[in-house]
Amino acid sequence: MVFNHFSGCGPNPRRSTARPRGMRAVFGSTREVYVSRLQAEQLYKVFGRRPEEAVRTLESGGDRDELRADGTTAAVIDASFTVEPGQIFVVMGLSGSGKSTLLRMLNGLLEPTSGRVLFDGQDLTSLPARELRTVRSSKISMVFQHFALFPHRSVLENAAYGLEVQGVPRAEREKRAAEALELTGLAGWGDSWPDELSGGMQQRVGLARALATDADLLLMDESFSALDPLIRRDMQDQLLELQKRLKKTIVFITHDLNEAMRLGDNIAVMRDGRIVQLGTAEDILLTPANDYVASFIQDVDRSRVLTALSVMTTPHRPDAGECDCESVLPDTPVADVCTVAARVPHPVAVKDTHGSVLGVVPQERLIAFLGDDKQGPVECSMKEVATHA
Amino acid sequence: MPRLNLGGWVDSAVNFLQSHLSWLFDAITHLVNGMYDGINAVLDAPQPLLFAGILAVIAWWLRGLSAGVLAFVGFALIDSIQLWDDTMSTLSLVLVAAIVTLVVAIPLGIWAARSKTVSAVLRPVLDFMQTMPAMVYLIPGIIFFGVGVVPGIIATIVFSLPPGVRMTELGIRQVDGELVEAAEAFGTTPRNTLMRVQLPLALPTIMAGINQVIMLSLSMVVIAGMAGGGGLGGAVYRAIGNVDIGLGFEAGISIVVLAMYLDRMTGALSRQVSPLGRRALAKAKAAAGGLKIWNYRPQPVVAIVGVVVLAVVAGGMNMFGSSGSDAVTGAKDVGKGKKISLGYIPWDEGVASTFLWKELLERRGFTVDARQYEAGALYTGMAGGQIDFETDSWLPTTHAQYWAKYKDKLEDMGSWYGPTSLELSVPSYVKDVNTLDDLKGKGSEFQNRIVGIEPSAGETGILKDKILKEYGLDGEYKVVDGSTPGMLAELKRAYAKKEPIVVPLWSPHWAYNTYDLKKLKDPKGVWGKGDGVHTLARKGFASDNAEVGKWLKNFKMDEKQLTSLEAKIQSTGKGKEQDAVRAWLKENPGLADKWTPVGS
Repeated sequence: MVFNHFSGCGPNPRRSTARPRGMRAVFGSTREVYVSRLQAEQLYKVFGRRPEEAVRTLESGGDRDELRADGTTAAVIDASFTVEPGQIFVVMGLSGSGKSTLLRMLNGLLEPTSGRVLFDGQDLTSLPARELRTVRSSKISMVFQHFALFPHRSVLENAAYGLEVQGVPRAEREKRAAEALELTGLAGWGDSWPDELSGGMQQRVGLARALATDADLLLMDESFSALDPLIRRDMQDQLLELQKRLKKTIVFITHDLNEAMRLGDNIAVMRDGRIVQLGTAEDILLTPANDYVASFIQDVDRSRVLTALSVMTTPHRPDAGECDCESVLPDTPVADVCTVAARVPHPVAVKDTHGSVLGVVPQERLIAFLGDDKQGPVECSMKEVATHA
Repeated sequence: MPRLNLGGWVDSAVNFLQSHLSWLFDAITHLVNGMYDGINAVLDAPQPLLFAGILAVIAWWLRGLSAGVLAFVGFALIDSIQLWDDTMSTLSLVLVAAIVTLVVAIPLGIWAARSKTVSAVLRPVLDFMQTMPAMVYLIPGIIFFGVGVVPGIIATIVFSLPPGVRMTELGIRQVDGELVEAAEAFGTTPRNTLMRVQLPLALPTIMAGINQVIMLSLSMVVIAGMAGGGGLGGAVYRAIGNVDIGLGFEAGISIVVLAMYLDRMTGALSRQVSPLGRRALAKAKAAAGGLKIWNYRPQPVVAIVGVVVLAVVAGGMNMFGSSGSDAVTGAKDVGKGKKISLGYIPWDEGVASTFLWKELLERRGFTVDARQYEAGALYTGMAGGQIDFETDSWLPTTHAQYWAKYKDKLEDMGSWYGPTSLELSVPSYVKDVNTLDDLKGKGSEFQNRIVGIEPSAGETGILKDKILKEYGLDGEYKVVDGSTPGMLAELKRAYAKKEPIVVPLWSPHWAYNTYDLKKLKDPKGVWGKGDGVHTLARKGFASDNAEVGKWLKNFKMDEKQLTSLEAKIQSTGKGKEQDAVRAWLKENPGLADKWTPVGS
C-alpha cells in the first residue's frame, strides 16, 4: 500500500539508467523545467586539486581510480535526475558512494564542480550566496542523520529555528513551531531540551524543524539510519503518513534498500559516485541494471515490494474475473495476493477500482516472482503433474 | 658557519622603531596607563574590608555561601598583612591585561577558526609569544613604553594571549560540524551562524581560555614587578632581592588568594553565562540535598543590590574618612607635593642612599616614589625620563657600559662617595689564598665556582671578562650568576660552616664589619682604580628641579656615615628602610639640613 499514494502526480519517471549523453537537451527544455520541481543536470563534484580538469577527464571517459592516484576524489560523477512535486526520491548507496555529497549540492551547501541544479525553474548553482541563503531558508529544509539539534536551545526553539532565520516575529514562529511539533507527535514537549528526548523523538524535532518553515523541498540525509529498527519503522510510517497530507517534494538518502523501497516513489542507486540505476522499486527489483544492484536486492522482502500489477499476466480465459471470487487491486503487495491465492481455486483476478479486469495472477507465477525466477515452468516428463494452465 | 648578526639586526630594528614609531608607543602607553589608573582608582577607593565584602557577595552569588565566606577570609588576610594596596594594583594590572588580551584574542581565535591560512600563520607566532622568555622582551618593552605598569602589562598580554586565541579557535572548531551545517542549511548567514550556534556552543571552552588568560596574567605579575609594575609582583621581587623570606611568603600567599578567587569566579561565571552551563547548574541544584543554607544562592538581583549597597557605603566612608596627613609647611615646603621618582638596585649602599634621599626630599615637601628595578630596566627607564634619578652608579669603571650607552640621555650629578674598590674576597679561615694569583690550581677547594652577583652588575662584567683571563682562572672557575642578596646568603651559610668560598665584593660594604674577610690582592691592577659612587639623573632633571639638583651635586657621605647607615638598615630589618633612615638621622642631627639647605 505504500508506493502509489502519489501515482497521479506528474509523468512517469524515466526507468533506465543508461541515458545517452545527447538527452541533456531534452531535459534542459523549458517544458521539462517548468513541470519538474527539482532537477539535477549532469552534476559533478570533485574534491582536490584542479577539479575542472578532472571533470573533463571524467567526461571523456576517464576512470575515477586514475584520478584518485593524483589525490583527486570524484565524489559525484554525472548525476542527472528529476524529482516531481510531491514525490519521494530516494538516493540509495553505501558509504562513500557520493550520495551525501549529491544531497548537499541540491541545496547549495556544496557547489557543484560542474552541472546545474534547477528548482522551480531557478538555477540554484548560479545564485549569489545571499539569494541562495534566502532559498534555503524559505524553500528547502534539511533533516540530518544525527539530528543536528542545537543543544543550547529548547525543543520549541529548535523547531522554530528556520523561522527565526527568516525573521518571523517570536509569537508567530513559536505558534508555527508548536504546530510543527504537533504534526510530528511531539505536542507539549516544546519546553524540554533535546538531550532529554530519545533518539526517535529527537529526530521528530529535526523533522518538525524542517516542516515548520513550510519549505516545499525536504532533504533528508540518512535521517533514520541512527535509529534502532523498530523506531526506524515507526518514523518511516510517520513520514509516509505526513507526506499523504503535506505532499512535499522529498529527497531521501539511505544506505538501506528496504527503506528505499518502502519510501521511494523513485530510487537512484549510487555506486562510486555514479548513479547506476534509476527507477521505481519494482524496476530495480525486477530488472536490476547490473550485478551490483542485483546483489543488493537479494535481501529485500520482495513480497512487500512487488505488486499485483507487476506480476499479473494476461488471462488465458476470456471469462476470467467474472466469478464472485476474491480479487485484488493492482497496487496490492504480492504478500497479500498470496493470501488471496490460497483461497481462490483459479488465478487471482486483478481489477481496478471500477471493477474492470486488468489481468490475472496464477499461483505459480507468484512463486516464481518470490523466488526471483522469470523463466516460467519447464515441461515435466510425467506430464500429469501440472494441474493449471 | 658565518655568524649571522641577528642580534644586531634586532638592535637596529628596536632603535628604528623607537625613533620612528614613538608616537604609537606613546599612544599605547597613554591608553594602557589610563585604563590602569581608572581601574585602580575604582578598586582602591573602598575600605579594604568593605571591598572584601563586595568580593565575597559576588562569590556567594556565583558559587555559594562557603565560597563567599572563604573569599572574605582570604581578602581579610591580605588586608591584615598590609598588602591590600599592592593586591589591588596587581588586580588592576591583571584586569587591564586580561581585558586587552581578550579583546584581541577572541576575534583572532574566531578568525583562525574560520581560516586555515590564518591558523597556520598564527600558530608559530603564538608559539613564539608563549615560549620567548619574558625578560627578553621586557627590556625592549621599557625602551618603547618606559618603566612602570605599561611594559609589565604588555609583557603579560604577550604571554597570556596565546591560550586565549588557541582556546577560542579550539572551541569553535570543536562545535559539531553537523550543527554548523544545519544552521547553513536553514539559510543562516555566516555571521549569525557564529553568533547563534558556534559561539554559544564554544563558550565553555572560550571561558576556560579566559580563565587561563587570567591565571597566566597573574603568574606574570612578578615579571612585571621587575619593570616597575609595582603591586604584589614588586613586593615579591623586592622580597627575593632582599632574601626576605617572610615578605616573599606574604606577597606570594596574596597572589595565591587572588589567583584562587579569580580562577573560581571565572570558572563559575562560565557556567552562568553559557546556556548549557546554566542547565547543568539547575540540574545539580535540583539533585543536591543536605543543608539548604550551603546551597542557597542569592538571585542576581539580590547580589547586585548587595554589591551596590556595599559600594555606596564604601564610597561614603571614603568621602568622609581620611583627610590629609602630616603636611610639610612653610619655607621647608620646597617641593609643594611635586612628584619625584627614584629607582634603585638592591645593593646596600644604593638602598641606603635612596631611602636617605626619599626621607630628605619628603621632609622638603616632595612626593617621592622609590622603586626597585633590575639594572637594565633602571637605566632604560631613566634614559626614557620615567625615573628622575638614582644614586648608585660606580664610575668611571664599574658601570662604564651603562654610562657609555645612555650618557646622552643622562646627567651626572657627581660623586657622593669615593674612592671605592672592587675585589674578590675569601673568609680569613681560607689559608694560603691571599692574592688573585693564589686562586689558580685551588679550584676544587672552591667547587670550581665563584658565587657571583647580578649578571648585569658592572663588577660581574669585569670579573668575567678581565680578572679570569688575566689571572688564568678561565676554565677553572665558573662565575655563578645570581644576586647580591643571594651571594650574601651563600656567604653567610658557608661562613657558618667554615667552608671555603670566594665572592665578589666591594668596599665599602657592611659584610666586612660582620664577617672576618680577606680582600684578595690584585697585583696586576686589573680591577682598575677606585670608582666614585655617582648620582645620575635623567636629562633635564636638574633644570626642572634646580634646588634638588643643587642638593644632589653637593651631596657627600664619608665612610663612617655610609657604613653606619647601612648597618642601621641591616639591623632594623627589611621593609623598614625609611624608619631606619629616620632613626639614623635622629642620631646624626644637623645632617639633613646640611644636605638639603632651605632658603637663604
